[in-house]
Amino acid sequence: MLEHQWPHGNKPTRVVILGARGFLAAGLNRCLSAAGVQVKALGAVDLDLSQPGAGQSLGKQLSAEDSLVVMSAITPDKGRDVGAFMANMEMGRSVCEALTAKPVAHVIYISSDAVYPFIANPVNEETPTTPTDLYGTMHMAREVMISTAIGKVPYAILRPTMVLGATDSHNSYGPNRFRRQAALEGKITLGGEGEETRDHILVDDALALVELILRHRSSGLLNLATGHSISFFNLARMVASHFAPAAEVITTEHKFPVTHRKFDATAVHKAFPGFHFTALDEAVARTHAQAGALDKISGP
Amino acid sequence: MAAVIGYAGMTHLGLNSAVAAAARGFDVVCFDPDAARIAALDASELPVVEPQLPELFATHRQRLTFSAEAASMARCDVAYVAPDVPTNNDSRSDLSGLSALIKAVDSALSPDAVMVVLSQVPPGFTRSLQRPPATRFYQVETLIFGQAMDRAMNPERFIVGCADPAKPLPPVFAKFLAAFGCPVLPMRYESAELCKISINAFLVASVTTTNTLAELCERTGADWSEIVPALRLDKRIGPHAYLKPGLGIAGGNLERDLATLVRMGAAAGTDTRLIGAFQANSRYRKDWALRTLHHEVLTTQPDAKIAVLGLAYKQDTHSIKNSAAIDLIRALGPYHLRLFDPVVPITATPHPNVVGAADALDACAGADALVIMTPWSEFARLDPAAVAHQLAGKVVIDPFAVIDATSARAAGLRHLTLGRREQD
Repeated sequence: MLEHQWPHGNKPTRVVILGARGFLAAGLNRCLSAAGVQVKALGAVDLDLSQPGAGQSLGKQLSAEDSLVVMSAITPDKGRDVGAFMANMEMGRSVCEALTAKPVAHVIYISSDAVYPFIANPVNEETPTTPTDLYGTMHMAREVMISTAIGKVPYAILRPTMVLGATDSHNSYGPNRFRRQAALEGKITLGGEGEETRDHILVDDALALVELILRHRSSGLLNLATGHSISFFNLARMVASHFAPAAEVITTEHKFPVTHRKFDATAVHKAFPGFHFTALDEAVARTHAQAGALDKISGP
Repeated sequence: MAAVIGYAGMTHLGLNSAVAAAARGFDVVCFDPDAARIAALDASELPVVEPQLPELFATHRQRLTFSAEAASMARCDVAYVAPDVPTNNDSRSDLSGLSALIKAVDSALSPDAVMVVLSQVPPGFTRSLQRPPATRFYQVETLIFGQAMDRAMNPERFIVGCADPAKPLPPVFAKFLAAFGCPVLPMRYESAELCKISINAFLVASVTTTNTLAELCERTGADWSEIVPALRLDKRIGPHAYLKPGLGIAGGNLERDLATLVRMGAAAGTDTRLIGAFQANSRYRKDWALRTLHHEVLTTQPDAKIAVLGLAYKQDTHSIKNSAAIDLIRALGPYHLRLFDPVVPITATPHPNVVGAADALDACAGADALVIMTPWSEFARLDPAAVAHQLAGKVVIDPFAVIDATSARAAGLRHLTLGRREQD
């Protein structure tokens, strides 16, 4: 649950985004800049947080009125091993060093729903964190590291579910990969029969919530999830229907146990009563249209 | 000559119990250090809403003496100390008022008089008191808001905590209890104190199980109301089991007992994760109406006007402690609300943009959706056709099925309730 330091909303003085080249971070940069918010976006090419001295360097670039959004991470598609885990922890250390040396006004940490076990349903902000892989363990540890480093500075931890968007770069199993598969191969291949259910949030909705949290200087914990889950099979059919002819949805033999993830999104309703999620069918349609437009821009 | 019975603490528990004792033919001394409260009661102004209370109070008024002086308890043969014990936001009891009242009553009573703690206390409390064990007892209260008089007049049993349950109760105390014609169960102080918590824990277990299964019904096409009669005929569940789906637990007392159990378990090293699950389920279920409202109305109508009927945490009470209605209203900040409750004034609501309606139908006027948060009986008399005529929209969120679903559908309304998926 979030608490708002600015109940009526304000424009943050400056927002510093770490991990600026990522899918979500780039979108946040665009949204905030379009809204006239001053943004400083730092990607790995600007400052590699996993390297020695990065914390000191980051500290020098922060000021007391800044809102810091931490989105830097090596995601599972780039590495799942101990090396990736340790590099992520080094990034967390650098952020903590910077925040200890130069406290800011507000910190948002973009974590992951990987901190939750699959046996907990519905997942809400009270659900105990029990990550089952190094990626989830890393996020859980970094949540606590930053909390320890910043003391009483307003601090929001956001745990997004699977994010749906045309510019997604992770290509993990889900709607973004389905759309690419359908476009390239005319078919979508499911793992098993696709009966697992998941929650998918449109990138625009996730970014709108991050912006609201910045504008309200909110602190606390919030899952970025819609509260509505759908099976991968039905989702694949939804994606497939946007192609002409409709892409074929192919099921395969089960390799893994079937798991489900359902969120209780009540905390979003309470934190921002006027905010509404985009319905999934509309989110899929919008993503499809945007991806088509991007394809035209980039050309064959 | 009949014994004189005293009650110290003239809030919900003490007042209803005192009136029940008077109705059973005893002279009753009612003491409360709050002079204004005593003056109001002396003028027959009742501070709580309970069915039958005004009638029984009036009928037996001549047996009730009110005083703001502890010395008035000196003539009592049996004195109950029975203030409502307040709880904080963490569901912890504040026992300071009770302790002060016990001290005052203990000093005023004659040495032979029996002092009985009736307020709910944690295990170990009664044994820690100073009064000699032969005249010091604890008695479990089983007050239910909205049924307090009936429960006080016709208790299922008396559970009495004693220093030594093998010894007979003092004759004057035993005779008073016998006047109610129910079994008396003496037991150790700690057993009686934990017995009260145990009753509530079993109650919450039923409520939680019901709510969990009701939600599964909502998502699978089963209808909980069809399942309930089968459960009631099962001897292991029973005809009086709490099988009506609801919006979690509220009112403060059950929440306090769960919190007490968690604390006791932590101190004793007992696994109380089950109790934690009860608490989490209650918090989750309490927001059912908010989730439904967002899903069915607010997502597509961001400027919706909402009618809310009922503010009390349940019917036949003025209490809003942990009320799901109040939580809902608090979470509807940007929306226009029209509210009505037969007893609770809208000034009790934490919302800047509410309109108080003259009656239930008036609250519906022009609203895009109706939410019935307290199952007051007068709401059950609403004509769905009249509701449909008043509403601008068609959605009725009626968790307790106050309105008949078939009639509502016939009137063109969408009727959404607990334990059942919306039907075409």
